[in-house]
Amino acid sequence: MAIIEVTDLHKKFKDLHVLKGITTNIEQGEVVVIIGPSGSGKSTFLRCLNFLELPTSGEIRFEGNLITHHNLQVVRREMGMVFQRFNLFPHMRVIDNITLAPRLVRKLDPDEAKGQAYALLERVGLSDKANAFPDQLSGGQQQRVAIARALAMRPKVMLFDEPTSALDPEMIGEVLDVMKSLAADGMTMVVVTHEMGFAREVSDRVIFLDDGMLVEENKPDQIFGDPQHPRTKSFLSKIL
Amino acid sequence: MDFQWNLVWDSVPTLLDGAILTLKLTTIAVSIGVVLGTVFGIMRLSRTPLRYLAVGYIDFIRGTPLLVQIFIIYYGMPPFIGTAIPPYIAALIALSINSGAYVAEIVRAGIQSIEKGQTEAALSLGLSSSATMIHIILPQAFKRIIPPLGNEFIALLKDSSLVSAIALEELVRKAQIVAGRTFRPFEVWFVVAIMYLIMTVAVSRIVSILERRLRVGE
Amino acid sequence: MKKLALVGLMLVVFLGTVSPVLAQKPVLKVAADCAFVPFEFVDENNKIVGFDVDLAMAIGEAIGYEVQFLNLAWEGLIPSLLNKNIDMIASGMSITEERAKQVNFSDPYFTSVLTIVVHKNNNDIKTLDDLAGKKVGVQINTTGDFAASEIDGAKVSRYNTVPETLQNIVLGIIDAAVIDMPVADAFFAANPNAPLKHVGKVSEDDYFGLAIRKEDTELLAKVNAALKQLKEDGTYDKIYNKWFSGM
Repeated sequence: MAIIEVTDLHKKFKDLHVLKGITTNIEQGEVVVIIGPSGSGKSTFLRCLNFLELPTSGEIRFEGNLITHHNLQVVRREMGMVFQRFNLFPHMRVIDNITLAPRLVRKLDPDEAKGQAYALLERVGLSDKANAFPDQLSGGQQQRVAIARALAMRPKVMLFDEPTSALDPEMIGEVLDVMKSLAADGMTMVVVTHEMGFAREVSDRVIFLDDGMLVEENKPDQIFGDPQHPRTKSFLSKIL
Repeated sequence: MDFQWNLVWDSVPTLLDGAILTLKLTTIAVSIGVVLGTVFGIMRLSRTPLRYLAVGYIDFIRGTPLLVQIFIIYYGMPPFIGTAIPPYIAALIALSINSGAYVAEIVRAGIQSIEKGQTEAALSLGLSSSATMIHIILPQAFKRIIPPLGNEFIALLKDSSLVSAIALEELVRKAQIVAGRTFRPFEVWFVVAIMYLIMTVAVSRIVSILERRLRVGE
Repeated sequence: MKKLALVGLMLVVFLGTVSPVLAQKPVLKVAADCAFVPFEFVDENNKIVGFDVDLAMAIGEAIGYEVQFLNLAWEGLIPSLLNKNIDMIASGMSITEERAKQVNFSDPYFTSVLTIVVHKNNNDIKTLDDLAGKKVGVQINTTGDFAASEIDGAKVSRYNTVPETLQNIVLGIIDAAVIDMPVADAFFAANPNAPLKHVGKVSEDDYFGLAIRKEDTELLAKVNAALKQLKEDGTYDKIYNKWFSGM
């Protein structure tokens, strides 16, 4: 059983038909990268997985269970999300950003939550920033904190929505490095990105989305080396 | 032009009594108003029928003159509750309810000014809607609404003069008494204007200091 | 010939418009705060009426002036007089030493006295001293207001009108009201079913005067002469009976 099963997913915004029937699975431990032109629905697809966007029709199952309004909050605990614009909580210090959800949602003891937070900060290379406020950090640092914050809930899946698109070029590397180490540790990841190098190096599967449809999906070598579909070829020729 | 400031100088203690009542009424009313306003501001944004209750309250209060509201409470409530209300209580009720509606709009705008990403991040971590509101949205919104809340306080400070209509001896009423006794209306009202000015400027300064303090915390 | 006729016509028209002005009486602007029944108040037809109004009109008639009666806020009466916006105040104004420093008063034209109005079942309050510790209503800036304010321990509530003040006794918000006895009597005459009564005279006599600028000595003399005449020829009594009959 795949950890996430998506069946015939449609999403309409008023009259705009953004996702036109996507069916795919995410296996445990897989790193799946989603690529495609702007407006293809990549972010929308990702945000449907944790119901930040409500699907218009179709089914999404997590660990075999259909995701609905009733189990939504529970499912979200198991899916961490990292956003393009970080979305750290500016009124709280880094350490509190990370411990908030574990304390409130998983009812962790404050000291336990703190201990876990320090360990995560160590892991993303920011132990010395525990007491800083988000606006005192660079973009790359903020994104790494955001990753630590999501990991603090010990999710089974991590969703990344263009995690480096808002970063200055010199900071992209530090964030990708963290993501690579996560992948190496066996985390299930779904990543929407333009970083083709990362996709090639780290992903197990690449999905090409265009105009709301899943046009092609395959191993990275196949997609990048020998794309089948004309639209895939056309897209790749423009960006590589 | 024959101004007799000395006559008015003797009445300053009386006027000060009025000013103190004005400040008291305004402070209590705005405090209650902030509580009411937060509740109704959040209600206003809910997607349940509660929204209509909030809209009704906010539109009614903002759409009718404060003087009318004061009279409705003072003259309209006694038949319902069977006993007369002291003017002080009636004034507090009317001013609080009035303030609450304006604060509700301030709170609503404050909440809506917090970018969607904050809510999305909180929800994606598994926080409930109410936890999101309490821990993430409201704390940030409140920092933003300090200036408009300060303005609401200043507005109510001046509008509270309307309670003189139910014979409550706040600053304006005291001025009417003093002017009527001394027959020096210009001097009296000028001094009263200065007193209001001192109060409103003091509030503005406090708001600025508060704003600056809160910013340092970020 | 035609030109002469035209000039003649213009002259006639000119004289026709000017002559009323030439023949016009001088104007006496009189003012009062018209919220003091029955001395001056605004009736249901929006007209200013009352004892002081009729008296001022009669005086104007007697001294050959046309009276314009204006409604001004109490605290603005003396300043308006001093600024020459008005010429005389007829507003139930008591003659006091303080006020006499700023203006001249005519001879007294009315004698008033204070009384205390209470609920008709109230037999505890009979004098001003009985008001200590009680809730007392007054009409703002009247002699009743001043008297009540002097009483140690009385909790004074100042209302804008007498009916409002007395209504609050009925409602139980206040225990008593200190007002001019003629005004109380006028209220009872108009509201015979009100469960109120007054306790009679509780103060020294108080005299109302018409206020005039100190430099208008000629006017003062004329007004005093007119007052004397009105009292002698019965006009004063007629006006008095019109407003205070049955008391």
